[in-house]
Amino acid sequence: MKTKIQFTLNGKSVSREAPTHRLLLDLLRDEIGLTGTKEGCGTGDCGACTVMLNGKPVNSCLVLSGELDGADIVTIEGLKIGPELHPVQKTFLQDGGAQCGYCTPGMLMMSKALLDENPNPTEGDIRYALSGNLCRCTGYAKIIQAVQDAAAILRGSESRG
Amino acid sequence: MSELTVIGKPVQRVDAEEKITGSAVYGYDLVLPNMLYGKTLFSTRAHARIKRINTEKAKKLPGVVAVVTGEDIPWTHGESVKDKPFLAQGKVRFIGEPVAAVAAEDEDTAQAAVKLLEVEYEDLPVYTDPEEACKPGCVAIHEDFDKYRKAEFIVPGAMPNVAEHFKLRTGNVEQGFKESDLVLEERYFVPIIQHAAMEPHSAHARFDKESGRLTIWVANDAPFRALHEITEALNMPKEKIRFINPLQGGGFGSKGGLKVEPIAVALAFHTNGRPVRVKFNREETFISTLTRHEAVVYSKTGVKKDGTLMAREMTIYWGAGAYAEKSPTVCIRGSLPAPGPYRIPHVKVDGYAVYTNKPIAGSYRGYGIPQGAWAGEQQMDEIARRLGMDPIEIRMKNIFVEGDLSYWGERLHAVGLKETLVKATEAIDYGKKSPNPNPGVKIGKGFACIQKPTRSPTTSAAGVMVNAKGEVTVLAGTVEIGQGCNTILSQVAAEELKVPMEKVRMHPLDTDVIPYDASTTSSRSTYHMGNAVRRASIHAREQIMEAARPMLEAEMKELGYADGKVFLKAQPQQALPIGEVVRRKLGINGEVRGDGSYTYEIGKDLDLETGHSDHASAFYMYATQAAEVAVDEDSGRVRVLRMSAAHDVGKAINPLNCVAQIEGGVVMGIGSALHEEMVVDATGKVRNPSFLDYHLATSLDIPELISIVVECAEPEGPYGAKGLGEPGLAPTPAAIGNAVADAIGVRIYDLPLKPENVYWAMQKHKKKTAA
Repeated sequence: MKTKIQFTLNGKSVSREAPTHRLLLDLLRDEIGLTGTKEGCGTGDCGACTVMLNGKPVNSCLVLSGELDGADIVTIEGLKIGPELHPVQKTFLQDGGAQCGYCTPGMLMMSKALLDENPNPTEGDIRYALSGNLCRCTGYAKIIQAVQDAAAILRGSESRG
Repeated sequence: MSELTVIGKPVQRVDAEEKITGSAVYGYDLVLPNMLYGKTLFSTRAHARIKRINTEKAKKLPGVVAVVTGEDIPWTHGESVKDKPFLAQGKVRFIGEPVAAVAAEDEDTAQAAVKLLEVEYEDLPVYTDPEEACKPGCVAIHEDFDKYRKAEFIVPGAMPNVAEHFKLRTGNVEQGFKESDLVLEERYFVPIIQHAAMEPHSAHARFDKESGRLTIWVANDAPFRALHEITEALNMPKEKIRFINPLQGGGFGSKGGLKVEPIAVALAFHTNGRPVRVKFNREETFISTLTRHEAVVYSKTGVKKDGTLMAREMTIYWGAGAYAEKSPTVCIRGSLPAPGPYRIPHVKVDGYAVYTNKPIAGSYRGYGIPQGAWAGEQQMDEIARRLGMDPIEIRMKNIFVEGDLSYWGERLHAVGLKETLVKATEAIDYGKKSPNPNPGVKIGKGFACIQKPTRSPTTSAAGVMVNAKGEVTVLAGTVEIGQGCNTILSQVAAEELKVPMEKVRMHPLDTDVIPYDASTTSSRSTYHMGNAVRRASIHAREQIMEAARPMLEAEMKELGYADGKVFLKAQPQQALPIGEVVRRKLGINGEVRGDGSYTYEIGKDLDLETGHSDHASAFYMYATQAAEVAVDEDSGRVRVLRMSAAHDVGKAINPLNCVAQIEGGVVMGIGSALHEEMVVDATGKVRNPSFLDYHLATSLDIPELISIVVECAEPEGPYGAKGLGEPGLAPTPAAIGNAVADAIGVRIYDLPLKPENVYWAMQKHKKKTAA
């Protein structure tokens, strides 16, 4: 069954007809053509497909299109603030938070979600927040550091190191 | 040339920007015009004859364009043993083997069509244990093994199902054991694990009837080898086949050779010119692509009372899974250095790569080193304990140093091992007990040393182009799989042409235009491709200087080169930027192209009877890692508190990237030490093919990481560099195993060190000591 849905995607209004069972991940990647959101498992276990749905991070592989009418969705393609990189994007660059880069969009969206909610996270908070986002390349240390540094930028203080 | 400007500097990754904005296009993201969607039917039986496959219903489903089975395509492939059909032919050998494939107008239709395929099987005996599968009387999993085409170095075993038997013979171990004061013999086990690159496997293929050309888009880390394998399998001229590499989301050894490619290619010949995309989901990636070898390692070591190693005998059964893939070379290059980086007068190693009815095993970051080290390095600690010696002291007594003759007959040079041992153990205050405030928790420390050869001999070639704007484009077949090669190779070109990093770009990888490279494997790229890019850059620079000579009205010897400019030594202000030289010589669209290649020539080939070679590897990587762990006595849970990793890299071309490789390897190793194992039941079925049930290390599992770079320059390497991609993983489980034994006083022989394994080992020990 197809339904008409209207939602905001990265600040722009989008209207689509989609089967209600179409996954948000597939809708973004296959129908809208935004492939920045990655598929790592399709079962909600790796976090690579994390996007913001109504201000909260979700695994887009577990969200059905039928739930999206009226929703506000932000993907990695909408993370920049105007032409500027989001602080967490800047610190991922600077600290070496990305290697193969496949988990990176999901990591960045989850990091943004954490910093939106908690501008002053401890290292433990960051580790916990990112524990559902798997990375096979970096060993996480540089990612955790990047989130700490982004938090410092967002608080208006100097980035450490 | 003058001092180094970019080499050795902590340069930021050149490929990070597209990755942090989501604009990077990976193989899994790729959409081609008019493409069809491919789906695969996988075997549900571990070992069976295929009596018939009924494709009629699937073919009739509207939207289905092609259905293929092994009967339609007689092709087989395999790097060193041509044993693997593109799609099963007559029999299946593991659960997850591709049996048939469908191409349809959309994914849902393709999936529905796969469900309509009917296969009738007749079961055969299933072998899931490599030690059992080679016992006399076992049925051959490959009854036609003798008839397969094989590489000349293959030595099939005398026992059933042995695809390769590697032998190392040095001295006389029996005599060595006789002369020893202590002889220890133990059995160690390493289970099957998976690479689990975050991007699952996929491939796109298109066959154009008009031109007769086959194009394959795939994130494959050895496109030239893949091209060669397709060429051989299809008996097509090389010029008719083209590989294009989209970005690759990790690999760790899982994406070389042919994985999804054969299915996409098989379908592409039946779609009337339309491209086909075949994506494996995570479960399919788990069961059908590649795993790391399970290994049973028997290790017997003899020592003198003073700790001098006298003899070591190792017998290793490498579980190859259903097809040979890289098992023969893992067996060779994993078994040869398994006795460890030590002077041992008497050595005997037998490595057997044994077929089983399990998912295929192949290359995995470390290429057989972690399995040997898990046994050998724990046994070193056990010997030290029984002799009442310090584990550092026993290793220092026997460890390889500059100029040693190895037990495989090679004179060693550029051996930075001792320094890694000292630095890694010092970094965690090895030998000092940490304060332990928690009752019920035991703290311990341990370390392990490794040596790792690289695939040899191999070749890398590169092109370097300089345009009229002074911009540099590097053509190199090394695949950016996340390891940072694009940054390293850009640094090499920037160094030799003395231009800023922003002026250098890497050309996308396309076998039609990129020069040959053996593979992005075996930690070989910095050394081999680094040398090739360096030579190509120098070649470009020489041409530019030659072109500048008449422009500056000077002799060659009067010219200097710096800051991307050719200048007159006598009047340095008389200088021409390289872009200016290119423009004046060749016009605004002109380009100077430099070419370079590097081949490492080994000495004598490995002797098949003794395993000896006077030069088995272009270089050797050496490392020591040390761990501090906490073990919960009630649950058996192990936590790694801190881990130091000291690696002899020859020369750190990019210190940031070195740390990135070390940290990534260490944490991958922690996963394999503490919780990773693919559980395969007696029917050959993988019981945990998901990230829910197969546990990778997460952000909560990582310890304090201390990365230490040791630079013992390799004279042949670019600027002295060796390699670093793999060794971070290799000693990790053994170091943790030694730390756990130090903590609880019980040695654990089987990986992973999951809570129940540790708990039961402690219970058993308690009972034994009580009795």
